[in-house]
Amino acid sequence: MSGVRVNTRNRMNRWWRGASGSYVVMIAMGAFTQSAIATERVDFARDVQPIFAQHCVECHGPEKQASALRMDRRTNLLRGGDSAEPAIVPGDAGASYLLTRLRDPNPEKRMPYRRPPLAEDEIAIIERWISEGADWPGAEHEEDANVGASHWSLQPIQPLEPPTPSRPEWVRNAIDAFILAKLDEVGLEPSPEADRVTLIRRLCFDLHGLLPSDDLYQRYLNDRREDWYERLVEELLASPRYGERWAQHWLDVVRYGETSGFEVNTPRENAWPYRDYVIRAFNEDTPYDRFILEQLAGDAVGVHEATGLLVAAPANLPGQIGQDLASMLGARQDELAEIVTTIGAAYMGLTLHCARCHNHKFDPITLKDYYSLQAIFAGVYYDDRQIPDARDPVRLRELLTQYDHTAAQLQSLGAREPVNGRLNVESFTPRQVRFVRFTAERTNSGLEPCIDELEIWSVATGDAQSRNVALASAGAKATASGTMPNSDIHRLEHINDGMYGNGRSWISNELGRGWVQIELAEPTVIDRIIWGRDRDGVYGDRLALTYRIEVADDDGVWHTVADSQLRLPQDASAREAWLADAPADRREQIAQLTQRMEALTHELLQVVPPRRVFAGTFREPGPWHRLYRGDPMQKREEVQPDIPEIFGTLGLSSDTPEQQRRVALARWLGRKDNPLTARVMINRIWQHHFGTGFVDTPGDFGRMGTQPSHPELLDWLAYTFMERGWSIKNMHRLIVTSSTYRQAAVPHTRGLAVDSQSRLLWRYPARRLEAEPIRDSILQASGVLNLTMGGPGFNAFKPNDNYVRIYEPREDFGPGEWRRMIYMHRVRMEKDGVFDDFDRPDAGQVCTQRVRSTTALQALNLLNSTFMMQQSRLFAERLQREMGEDVERQITRAFQLLYGRSPEREELDAGMELVRSHGLVAFCRAIFSTSEFLMIP
Amino acid sequence: MDSMASKQPTVIGQRLMDRRSFLGSSIMGLGGIALTQLLATQGLLGATSKGPLRPSIDPARPHAARKPHFAPRARNIIMLFCSGAISHLDTFDYKPELIKRDGQPMPGADKLVTFQGENGNLQMSPWKFRPRGRSGKMTSDLLPYLGELVDEMCFIHSMTSKTNTHGPGENFLSTGFTLDGFPSIGAWVTYALGSENQSLPAFVAIPDPRGVPQASVNNWGPGFLPAVFQGTAFNATKPIRNLASPVPGNVDRATRDYIQMLNRRHAERYPGDTELAARIASYELAARMQLSVPEVTAIDNEPAHILQMYGADSTDKLKAGFARNCILARRLVERGVRFVQLFNGAYAMGEGVGNWDAHRILKDQYEVHGPILDQPAAALLRDLKQRGLLEETLLVFCTEFGRMPTFQKGASGRDHNPEGFTVWLAGAGVKRGFSYGATDPFGYKAVENVVTMHDFHATILHLLGLDHERLTYYNNGIERRLTDVHGHVIRDILA
Repeated sequence: MSGVRVNTRNRMNRWWRGASGSYVVMIAMGAFTQSAIATERVDFARDVQPIFAQHCVECHGPEKQASALRMDRRTNLLRGGDSAEPAIVPGDAGASYLLTRLRDPNPEKRMPYRRPPLAEDEIAIIERWISEGADWPGAEHEEDANVGASHWSLQPIQPLEPPTPSRPEWVRNAIDAFILAKLDEVGLEPSPEADRVTLIRRLCFDLHGLLPSDDLYQRYLNDRREDWYERLVEELLASPRYGERWAQHWLDVVRYGETSGFEVNTPRENAWPYRDYVIRAFNEDTPYDRFILEQLAGDAVGVHEATGLLVAAPANLPGQIGQDLASMLGARQDELAEIVTTIGAAYMGLTLHCARCHNHKFDPITLKDYYSLQAIFAGVYYDDRQIPDARDPVRLRELLTQYDHTAAQLQSLGAREPVNGRLNVESFTPRQVRFVRFTAERTNSGLEPCIDELEIWSVATGDAQSRNVALASAGAKATASGTMPNSDIHRLEHINDGMYGNGRSWISNELGRGWVQIELAEPTVIDRIIWGRDRDGVYGDRLALTYRIEVADDDGVWHTVADSQLRLPQDASAREAWLADAPADRREQIAQLTQRMEALTHELLQVVPPRRVFAGTFREPGPWHRLYRGDPMQKREEVQPDIPEIFGTLGLSSDTPEQQRRVALARWLGRKDNPLTARVMINRIWQHHFGTGFVDTPGDFGRMGTQPSHPELLDWLAYTFMERGWSIKNMHRLIVTSSTYRQAAVPHTRGLAVDSQSRLLWRYPARRLEAEPIRDSILQASGVLNLTMGGPGFNAFKPNDNYVRIYEPREDFGPGEWRRMIYMHRVRMEKDGVFDDFDRPDAGQVCTQRVRSTTALQALNLLNSTFMMQQSRLFAERLQREMGEDVERQITRAFQLLYGRSPEREELDAGMELVRSHGLVAFCRAIFSTSEFLMIP
Repeated sequence: MDSMASKQPTVIGQRLMDRRSFLGSSIMGLGGIALTQLLATQGLLGATSKGPLRPSIDPARPHAARKPHFAPRARNIIMLFCSGAISHLDTFDYKPELIKRDGQPMPGADKLVTFQGENGNLQMSPWKFRPRGRSGKMTSDLLPYLGELVDEMCFIHSMTSKTNTHGPGENFLSTGFTLDGFPSIGAWVTYALGSENQSLPAFVAIPDPRGVPQASVNNWGPGFLPAVFQGTAFNATKPIRNLASPVPGNVDRATRDYIQMLNRRHAERYPGDTELAARIASYELAARMQLSVPEVTAIDNEPAHILQMYGADSTDKLKAGFARNCILARRLVERGVRFVQLFNGAYAMGEGVGNWDAHRILKDQYEVHGPILDQPAAALLRDLKQRGLLEETLLVFCTEFGRMPTFQKGASGRDHNPEGFTVWLAGAGVKRGFSYGATDPFGYKAVENVVTMHDFHATILHLLGLDHERLTYYNNGIERRLTDVHGHVIRDILA
């Protein structure tokens, strides 16, 4: 590949080198004959240009570009107009759309439009000119402006020095130097630093989306150390509350939703692991280039749920799509268009979706580019994918404890539950091992034994959780006595791929017997082995009834840790017979405990079903094509999976497996010479700290987007971002510790007159909080915020299972619904009845920036909803609990909690009057509706 | 104007910067203002050489009435939306050839596959068509009350859609796009024009008594427009969520006084912050709505003859419920509400049970739905006319697509058909007793004066005094329009 930098010029030079042979100077000066043309090369300036000038350029020239086509420049003819059919293909007259239209038998389509057609000898000249390579002397100097290659955001990101500040004492880091230089230009001065309460509240809202806690106020209001502020920033960034706040910004962009959208809007029950992934990625400060890779190709790097990004958009369910071919192909194109749109908005800041039906009107993206990019994702389908090794560890631990306890009771009576076709747990005393071998000696059907997954669980130590160390992705290696040959679904590597079911299983090549062995990456202390024949419960044959499990450490000495000796017969009548033989005093107990074990196994299967995540499924797509005007019924030439040509090429082919395509794109996006990736992300980070980005069209860095307010600072930050390992937290540190960020928000007339929006940042731009921090902060103030992280979301709507879902907001709430709003089951389009009206995006279209409106419905929701009435009561109870019946203290406490300050005399008096007349709940209901609470200061 | 605008090197950058600088006085991301003339002459933005005309919006009064682009023919609009795709062939599109060829295969449509699968033979309507009104327009006996009013209606028989699926089809009809997430036509109109009434929502969606339509809130959603322009959903029986105060009036007043006192004190600390002014205004509007909405929904205050005229006294609960919604629609436009979306049919009860989606037994299903729609809708049109409201109100009867002239294979109902169907308009600005466009002899495909959804939208906006090419809002790289990059005003139907 030729690098990321824009290389149109190079390409053009290549064409010209190829066409620079000698051409015969034509002697005949007057009218020339066909035979003259046939023997001599056509001269563009003499023979072709006059035809264009006379017939074409009036409508397709510098003044007017009908159908976005210009015929006064070669680059534009090569690119084509709206149709994206190349008007000329040098050397290939047959593929040149210009000739098709000049000779179109339909007079409404034939060019020149509604005028007499060109004479056939004129068309023949053009045809010859094209066949001879379409020489156009001077075209190598054509400004490429029409395709926007020189646009600022496509230029490389260069290192640069911050300007020398006019007020060095104000400058805390390079950001301030850049900001100050711009302020100097318009004669504004930065505002003084905000007071400490404001700074603490600003940081908490910004980084956590929550109010500061009592504890935080206490520690940081009285901290006399120089670096109290930096310490606070570190503390906030280290908290998991940070990820819950900043993940939402990302989820907006990719319009993460947990329903299908459209009319049925069916829940995607398994979508939430992607939400948890994003939260975790922010909390762990996953380097941004890695973040991209995981989301585009997590299946290749063991972070499976991350590919939820690819399928985050709405998509019609198969049953809601017309059964005719056009409808089905069209729906598939819509699905893929969503993916391309997401990639464009999230990573590239390019409106790639604009090139679905025609060449991009403003940016250097052609229709062909669009379908090349689409080919990268052509194998992605909107569906659940079974993914390895991702469980609910807490619930699992609970169940396993009960399971072990019951199993031990049963064993003390000399029995074990029968072998289970789906799931068997073998627990033993922890020991360090390197090898684990499962040997089958007899199966129920007499056929070759089958195991779908052999899991080996390590013992939790310190920070390390118990995990399945048998996985190939954990570095373990599988060997076996033999494997049934020639099967796609029964393969040795399936024994430890983390995938369940008959379709991902190992089968021995010997009737009734065989062994499979796992070599761990390193000696590990383990205490549990879990295995099954078919976790899905579809197949029950080939089940090993007599078996043993042995382990060995590096010394190679084998020890048996589990076997089938005490197992009760699997067959029911045989079991009855066995029980009948058992001592009478134990019979009943054994039967009961066996039943209990069966129930527990069943529950385990509920908790750890084969994990399905709505993260897309993948298939090899086959050849891919450009579609004429985006119409799936009109395929044009084949395209290769690739990035837009202006950026070079990924060098892939139609044969490249689809996963590798996604990996290649991710790697390209993460390259440091990619001009867009870092700029777009830095802009996004800045936007969430200050309300507006340098570029206030954060999804569009193309020519329709705005120029950055501080281009040098944007580039300096983008460069620094990459140099410091793509660490997002590092960028937060840099930004929030700047003097720029620490300014007061109070406006003054002069600043308002010069720069009303404070885009130059002469003050901190205060603004209303978004829906999530409002809701979360209310719960926090009333003292009921439930900080349970992760897992399935809570539901804001009443239960409903109509096949077209009806979403009626619920009216009863308890601790389950008092989790942070990011954990609210994300129903597309529908509103939760209280907070969605605060401009929370509907997850229908990409949202790179929320709008902010103020409406009467917001007022009504905050005043009258059952949710808010309940919170007002809970808040009042808290105030009474903490402050007793002293109204003044109650009000003061409320002000402290919500505003971080004490009430002024008038505020207190009016508040006390309200409480005395109408009760504390009325006061609490009021204060939740106030601007001071609802604003990031 | 902030100083930065002048620094922008490109015309487009300048335009957007101006849009943004407008945010200086607007908290809402609403469009810029004065430079529209400038933009108009600069010929920006691809498909149209005319620049955007951005409404000037006062954040504290976002629903204040605003001037249209040119003199409007209609000030208000009621869109009566028959959810589930009402069959044109059993209502308003008379096809003698279909009757003649009843039971025969449709020529050129051998084994034609549509939404649900293969089709059977041509099938005439179970309802007789007869001439009505002075114009003698042929309509069916399914809707006799509406049939009496054909002289008021302007039919478009050549409507088309581009999807045969309900959700995307409703999206297309209500937002101009088949995908989720685009602003509804009511939101566009409210964004452009505001409302004549400052105590009621500017845009009201009236769901059917049976529930919400397929695409649900998409039909009245704000998409990427500020939420202030979304439709507010309520009907004659189901009030606005959270409108009613849960506490006694005096408590409510004292509470609001305290809020406003704190908010005013706070706003004083941030001089010039319009967002804070807007919040104070929003609490005042909320209080006004608490009085005005119960007033407008008090349908029982209507005289008995009006209730009877609409069929609000019917023993058929669904008919009576829809009738009350029709009365509500009239009461809203009477009070200056700009945009009313009135739904007939819901999806909650399943295919064809609660709406017009008659795949299985057309006759049985439509015998239920016809009477629910007919008398109340006809009374609405009559009532608007007798009160003179029709002079300034446009009543639009529409549906997401039509149905097939054939019965589905193995069923006695009709499958989806976006190739040709009927809508009609009545009232301000359109011809009366007029028919435009036609489907082929069987009513399968529009063949004469074919009308796209974009044309339909362009025409509605035109009647409201809006140029569909210039009513835009920037989102994610595109100056978005209700009509995407398409649409032509259907001049032939304008009065």
